[in-house]
Amino acid sequence: MRSRRHASHEGEDTGIDLAPMLDFVFNLLIFFLITTSFVREAGITVVRPEATTALPEQTGNILVALRPNGEIWMDRRQVDMREVRPTIERLHLERPEDTVIVIADKAAKAGLLAQVMDEIKLGGIKEVAVGATSAAGQ
Amino acid sequence: MLDFVLNLLIFFIITAVFVKEVGLRVERHGGGATGAAGGKSAGSISIVVKADGEVIVDNRVVDVRAVRANVERLHAQKPEWGAMVTASQEAETGLLVQVIDQVRLGGVQNVSVGTSSK
Repeated sequence: MRSRRHASHEGEDTGIDLAPMLDFVFNLLIFFLITTSFVREAGITVVRPEATTALPEQTGNILVALRPNGEIWMDRRQVDMREVRPTIERLHLERPEDTVIVIADKAAKAGLLAQVMDEIKLGGIKEVAVGATSAAGQ
Repeated sequence: MLDFVLNLLIFFIITAVFVKEVGLRVERHGGGATGAAGGKSAGSISIVVKADGEVIVDNRVVDVRAVRANVERLHAQKPEWGAMVTASQEAETGLLVQVIDQVRLGGVQNVSVGTSSK
């Protein structure tokens, strides 16, 4: 009898409680849902120009980065000038309320910036901001 | 463990909300090689940024730091005018943004950017 009770006790112990694991997986799911849909990162770091009047762009979720050597980065990959417009069109369809911030490196050429801004406008997003950092201490 | 994961979740939500890009909202006007958008018919303060770093406000070469004062003066004369910054294709974006910033500090919020092939 004692051995049987011991056996039944062991049987209860070996049952795995799935509830915490489910919670955990559920949390992970929510976490990834939220993080992936937020900001379309450009994928590289650029030296931003400083501006005192720069304001936070609440809907600026699509980032396009321009490097000094003329490379264009968006959505974590390097794109060609001709790819900017279709990519913007696709992102604009997915989330129509998003606006674009073009983060141009300090040393990037203004001609490239203007060209990219034109492509974005042709892609359907009319509100374009030029990325900057708030000047410190002001 | 669960508490920890939940905390992580909350933490990432909060940081994701705080990571906001700052930027300068600018309009685009046609000019030079890239003439896609039509300029406004109303008058505007003309500012030219040249490739070698020269800034020209109202047909006078000025220092970047003097842009603000000049724009303030012109803005007082013509309060309804916007500013039109025309940059050379080869001009550096850093300088362009600096000029736009100065113009906005000078009181003109409606800034449009264009390029010239010069």
